[in-house]
Amino acid sequence: MSAYALGETRVDDTFAEAFPMRYARLVITAATAEWAHEAARSATGFATSVIGCKCEAAIERVLDPDETPDRRPGVAVLLFAMDREGVGKRIVERVGQCVMTCPTTACFDGLPGADRTAALGATLRYFGDGFQASKVIAGRRLWRIPVMEGEFLVADSVGVGQGVGGGNLVIGAGDDEAALTAAQAAAAAMRGEGIALPFPGGIVRSGSKVGALTSKSMPASTNHQMAPTLRAQVADTLVPDGVGAIFEIVIDGVSEEAVREAMRRGLHAAAPAGATHVTAANFGGKLGEFHFPLDELRDPP
Amino acid sequence: MTLTLTLRAEPPARALAPGLLPERLRGLNASALAALELRCGGETVALGDLFDVSGAGTEEDALVLAGDLRRFDGIGAGMSAGEIEVRGDVGAWAGAEMSGGVLRILGDAGARLGAAYPGARVGMTGGEIVVTGDAGEETGAGMRRGLVAVGGRTGNGAGLRMLAGTVIALGGIGDEAGLGNKRGSLVSGRGTEPLPSYAYATRFHPPALALQLLRVRELGLSVDDVLLRGEWARWSGDRTELSRGEILIFDGEEEGT
Repeated sequence: MSAYALGETRVDDTFAEAFPMRYARLVITAATAEWAHEAARSATGFATSVIGCKCEAAIERVLDPDETPDRRPGVAVLLFAMDREGVGKRIVERVGQCVMTCPTTACFDGLPGADRTAALGATLRYFGDGFQASKVIAGRRLWRIPVMEGEFLVADSVGVGQGVGGGNLVIGAGDDEAALTAAQAAAAAMRGEGIALPFPGGIVRSGSKVGALTSKSMPASTNHQMAPTLRAQVADTLVPDGVGAIFEIVIDGVSEEAVREAMRRGLHAAAPAGATHVTAANFGGKLGEFHFPLDELRDPP
Repeated sequence: MTLTLTLRAEPPARALAPGLLPERLRGLNASALAALELRCGGETVALGDLFDVSGAGTEEDALVLAGDLRRFDGIGAGMSAGEIEVRGDVGAWAGAEMSGGVLRILGDAGARLGAAYPGARVGMTGGEIVVTGDAGEETGAGMRRGLVAVGGRTGNGAGLRMLAGTVIALGGIGDEAGLGNKRGSLVSGRGTEPLPSYAYATRFHPPALALQLLRVRELGLSVDDVLLRGEWARWSGDRTELSRGEILIFDGEEEGT
């Protein structure tokens, strides 16, 4: 495969392949930044891959009190699913189990004005068992659900936007420590407004391939071509010479532009942090609507 | 330029102003506006005989009324959109049966602010009313939805037979508030003695009220931070109705804050 050099880093001339997804932005507030973070961490847990978890979610960014509707510390969370119905089901489950349950929290719509919406408080209110009450404040309906602490305040519905899921960078280096250092630098640079990195710490070590060699029923299995320990064992290995460990960063974003720019930031952070090799995962280009060629990311952000 | 009506002459009798709505004045020029007729006692008076007209009805749907309008009843009544700012006091029935938009009164309001007309069950069904001064008796009577916020005090009987919605009196809600209230919220920034048909529930931090107070501040009322931080006592009532309504009374700052 042809490639270009970015400092000491070899960047393959390939592309990341991504798909249209629907997403919601939840604004979770609490009495303290710590409790808002607890709720957001819980609500975005077990949400790494839409195949295994039915949605992908991550903390987008921390919000200052002057950025939130109730002027308390907050966290913005992005949740992606394949369609609006999927987004709707997942937010009801996650806000119901992970935000409503968390001390002092409230949950607001972070995507007001979106064309499409999904019910949130409109469904969760039934937890109030008839004691719930609604208020329309500044034109937006909220539900007050009485709970043991006091009241949980939640938006009646939230906006659902059209986003992009599955952008990625694959980062390799001579050994596992060096590769992780480079991947961490990339993940830190990529996070920001409009971006969710759904894997733990933003980084996935067990990249998969579609299907399996040994089973017809498994939807996915280990990417044996990218496993360094199998380099001498499989004929079609793709582990480059000199690479001892590889990490992938999967990126979901609110737009094609957001994903491309996050990939650009990640590439230009991974290279000086010690990545010897950067590539991207795709399915031959026929499955995904969005292609992000690494060649277009040569210019720094 | 925003359409501004400045009172020049006192009307000969109490005047009715429910037609003076931005949505009704849209596109009218100064002479058409001056020719509009207002009911005044048993007769009609041309708007131009009482007010100086400047600007014209614009698409922005804003209207400014300036002067001592205590003899004008029904200002903003039936309003469904747009914004009215009154620079002065107003008479009774301001914002009565309003369904949308913002009515801002920089002064005092008379009785039955945002209320239902006699015989009607339902008063205000939407929109926001902000009064920087005091409001008269039976503020928000029959209210179903929307927000009435008063910087000063409301007179007796606020929220009479209220169905839902919110009446906030930062300076304190008057006596006998919330008689026959079904699901409405009455909010008193000062201590008050609720009717015996209300029962004390608890002190707490009401999250929806915090949001409403921030909205009220955005609409131009001065809201002290202690009201946002502090605890409120919740009284449930009216027990002669559903007992799903509430009176929230500010109960001071927490110790140590």
